[in-house]
Amino acid sequence: MANFSIVGQRLPMVDGPDKVTGRGLYTDDLALPGMLVGKILHSPHAHACIRRIDTSRAEALPGVKAVVTGRDFPNRYGILPIGHDETAFAVDKVRYIGDNVAGVAAVSEEGARQALELIEVDYERLPAYFDPEETMKAESNWIHDEKPHNIEKEYHHQFGNVEQGLAEADLVVSERFACSEVTHAALEPHSTLAHYDPATDRLTVWSSTQVPYYLHLTLANVLGMPKEKIRVIKPLIGGGFGGKSEVIPVEVEAAVLSRQAALPVKITYTREEVFYAHRGRPIQIIELTIGAKRDGRLTGVKARIVQDGGAYCGYGPVTLLYSGALLGAMYDIQNVQFDGYRVLTNKPACGAMRGHGTVNTRFAFESLLDRVACELGIDPAEIRLRNQLQPPCITVNQLRVTSYGYPECIRQVVEKSGWGEKRGKLPYGKGVGIAGSHYVSGAANSIIRSEMPHSTVNLRVEDDATVTLLTGASEIGQGSDTIQLQLVAEELGVRPDRIKLVAADTERTPIDLGSYSSRVTFMAGNACLAAARNLRKQLFEAVARVWGVSADQLEARDDRVCAQNGSGKVMSFEQAVAAARQQFGTLEATGSYAPPAEARGGKFKGAGVGPSPAYSYSAQVAEVSVDTETGQVSVERITVAHDCGRAINPMTVEGQVEGSVWMGLGQAVQEEMIWNQGRLMNPSLLEYKSASTLESPEIVPILVESVDPEGPLGAKEAGEGSLAAAIPAVANAIYDAVGVRITSTPISAEKILKALRERQKPQARGNGGRR
Amino acid sequence: MSLPPFMLLRPRRLDEAVVRLADYGPEAMIVAGGTDVVPNLRAGLFSPRALVDIKGIGELGGIRFDPRSGLELGALTTLTAIAESSVVQEHYRVLAEAAGTVASPVLRNMGTLGGNLCLETRCLWYNQSTVWRKACGFCLKKDGTVCHVAPGGERCWAVWSGDTAAALMTLDAEIEIASPRGRRRMPLTEFYKNDGMDRIRLGRDEILSGVRVPARLAGYRGSYQKLRIRSAIDYPLAGVAVAMQLENGICRDVRLGLTAVNPAPLLVREVGELLRGQRFSPEAVEAAAHAVIRTGKPLKTSVSTPEYRRDMLRVFARRALTRLWSSNGGH
Repeated sequence: MANFSIVGQRLPMVDGPDKVTGRGLYTDDLALPGMLVGKILHSPHAHACIRRIDTSRAEALPGVKAVVTGRDFPNRYGILPIGHDETAFAVDKVRYIGDNVAGVAAVSEEGARQALELIEVDYERLPAYFDPEETMKAESNWIHDEKPHNIEKEYHHQFGNVEQGLAEADLVVSERFACSEVTHAALEPHSTLAHYDPATDRLTVWSSTQVPYYLHLTLANVLGMPKEKIRVIKPLIGGGFGGKSEVIPVEVEAAVLSRQAALPVKITYTREEVFYAHRGRPIQIIELTIGAKRDGRLTGVKARIVQDGGAYCGYGPVTLLYSGALLGAMYDIQNVQFDGYRVLTNKPACGAMRGHGTVNTRFAFESLLDRVACELGIDPAEIRLRNQLQPPCITVNQLRVTSYGYPECIRQVVEKSGWGEKRGKLPYGKGVGIAGSHYVSGAANSIIRSEMPHSTVNLRVEDDATVTLLTGASEIGQGSDTIQLQLVAEELGVRPDRIKLVAADTERTPIDLGSYSSRVTFMAGNACLAAARNLRKQLFEAVARVWGVSADQLEARDDRVCAQNGSGKVMSFEQAVAAARQQFGTLEATGSYAPPAEARGGKFKGAGVGPSPAYSYSAQVAEVSVDTETGQVSVERITVAHDCGRAINPMTVEGQVEGSVWMGLGQAVQEEMIWNQGRLMNPSLLEYKSASTLESPEIVPILVESVDPEGPLGAKEAGEGSLAAAIPAVANAIYDAVGVRITSTPISAEKILKALRERQKPQARGNGGRR
Repeated sequence: MSLPPFMLLRPRRLDEAVVRLADYGPEAMIVAGGTDVVPNLRAGLFSPRALVDIKGIGELGGIRFDPRSGLELGALTTLTAIAESSVVQEHYRVLAEAAGTVASPVLRNMGTLGGNLCLETRCLWYNQSTVWRKACGFCLKKDGTVCHVAPGGERCWAVWSGDTAAALMTLDAEIEIASPRGRRRMPLTEFYKNDGMDRIRLGRDEILSGVRVPARLAGYRGSYQKLRIRSAIDYPLAGVAVAMQLENGICRDVRLGLTAVNPAPLLVREVGELLRGQRFSPEAVEAAAHAVIRTGKPLKTSVSTPEYRRDMLRVFARRALTRLWSSNGGH
């Protein structure tokens, strides 16, 4: 164990006190003089042409200061360069129930609401598409004219030779899996306050965003304003989970309304509007085949995935590519085939959600692998160990693996869960299941295909010997502010409270690509280390000159600088700063991080998604009991081991791991967006069934520290990688408990009951490991 | 969604409250805990000119038990108070269990018994925002002409979604209703109309002021079984309440109530006829469970399917009866 003083400590999160006492300000808490309330008119139709919009009556309503429709700001945007298909408001056509038709800014909410009712829209309804497999057959009335047959993107990857691999297998199993659509359900609904000041021609935007930098670029594009005229500030965020990781309509809409009204405008979504903005985890239909030798070695995997994307591109192709890229990459499989289709339907757009793209395929793969193990008579934990990678290595789809704590994760959960004593040995109705998952520690390739650093951090030592840490990284509740502060404090050898953090303000902080793909600890963390080391170098140089020693004999720790040459010389951090100021004047440093070229993956079409400088790993054992009369599953305990490289703050890592598991369990057994002809039937937190505390099992987190060679002090991802395994672990535990395999999510009581009835009696149970 | 504008009236006495209601007629609504009314106001389901907040009426509170006259519950008694009352737990188990399953602890602290007995009926096509309902042309229950659950029909199938009513029905409860004309009593079973649109027999100037449970049902064994996806927060998707009197293993009396599957909570009277005077047998239980699913008529009013909810009625009836009948009390 390395000798750290700040890193490895369970430091309370620096943003915690303001949040738990209610002092902290979220976007909706903000107000400006003269601020207007913005409201959005949403489409009542799933697919229709807009023949005419008449806003004159709305504009005439007293108190209404701006009414904006699609043609006023027609510049197209989208998070991906290949997917600029959204506009501030619909131009000529609406594509889902809830699509954005017009916006109003008024002096009161009631006035804005009344104004919306006065907008007259003449629609011509078009045939609409709701089913992902049916939409691909469409011959006309495509959702976007430039996307024939409603296929947004398709990818066909073949690594090795899958047909040969399957031919060599002793066992080949196939299954069709179907995953329902789930959403982030962050507590904070999206909110944006935009202030366009006509006197200076400047726009300032406070917004609930995970990606201030991309929002900045998008606003410049949509409003046709130069970037330097726009400032984006991220206040406190009440959870993102990916739902705020691309530009959301409300952000653009508040800005254009403010521009039009020349007054500040705030829009906070209702919960229903959050569901329309959505960008959550899509419906995926996964046809999966796995081949294995008698000894459990996997000879090939083949997946065909149809992904129901909703009406716009968003992150969709990236979701799909993650599904393919990470399909087989946590195991040593030499033959992998992936055929994926991201299709358009007349529903809200899907996008990035915690575990982006990897979750549904992991459910399918780990469920089917469990079946392979059972059919071959191999312990499901053992079959995973038999297929482990041998790092450092490069997977067949050209992902570089530098550290790999997965085998250790499996060993730990097997030991701590009592796997050996429980599997196949618990009474009927109770069971255990194991599964694994992995995730990127940041995408190695930026969305905007730029060569600039992905994270930059500036440090400035103030007169009072406090250190200002300027970072573009976005704290969204995941703990990134705390982690950056701990890394800088560690490297400078100062007390954490010496560091003042200024974050996520495009006018004041350097560029960071944002909080998505679990990139911040790794990338902003490395930038923090680089900046701190640059700063320390200046300090040491100054102190070395004072003492007449060599700078490489100095150490900074416990708020002091010490000579390690036996002289016993010690100087407080304040004194060191004073010395450095005398010599250098100001004391500032910068550091940045870009993933190395060898981590950026292959050259084939779609190769850009999946590569990461490092991967996290997770193994989980779920223990469940199934009520065989009602089909209801109760998850009693999850033992989870997560390879986070190094736990910079074990408390926040455990929090992230537990949160991931909990979120996975929601998808596993109860969460689902329910559609009826493109109409969302449960756009509320009452009817969308996120787990309550009563369904939340005991979660036993175990941290595995594989110390990645390139991670900041060895750290890797912690916030997403443990989500996916929770779902197949539960599915496999249900099989162990009652002998039925459910191949769709959520694994509802009704599905289990139906499967049990098909099996009739307990004696008729099939090939489980249970006899 | 903000609340629509309304006048808030806060009478301190019951006679004052009913006069206020009479003054405003159909433009008034009663609010107590607000856990049902407030979300419905936000969703634009009602736009009353006056909300009559009865929380300040002292005479509507309290739990009183007398071994001769039975249990009296003021309408403003919170669900938490009922669930935690040792008297209710000891003598009227089924009611304590039902009250303890309503929504979540926070909502039970606010929600009142009177409110739970007067809940608005619920339906996936109804409990939505104005914008949502407008987009599908509204529905029979509110502003529209079509029932999306049973298209073509003239009837609204919005479902009764309270927990305590079915339990109180099994206890032969009576309710007391106050109006400017005085007070009247009514068996709880007669209070409900089994009509999703017009759910209860309560005049515009009337307030459900209290509930009485007869002494002769004190000590009945009781069980309330509730189907929901989450173990808290959710309204019932199906519910079965049973109260039973046993003597040396023989069922002397039994009543079984259903909730959340029809537009009203209902007693399945046939269960009593089938089981009274009998000793426990799986066949008897099965016959009763069969009667239950003949009465429960779930439709597509919720996120769960009618088939599953109907299945669970059978399972819950079987469970509740077996537990009460074949054990030493089922507690």
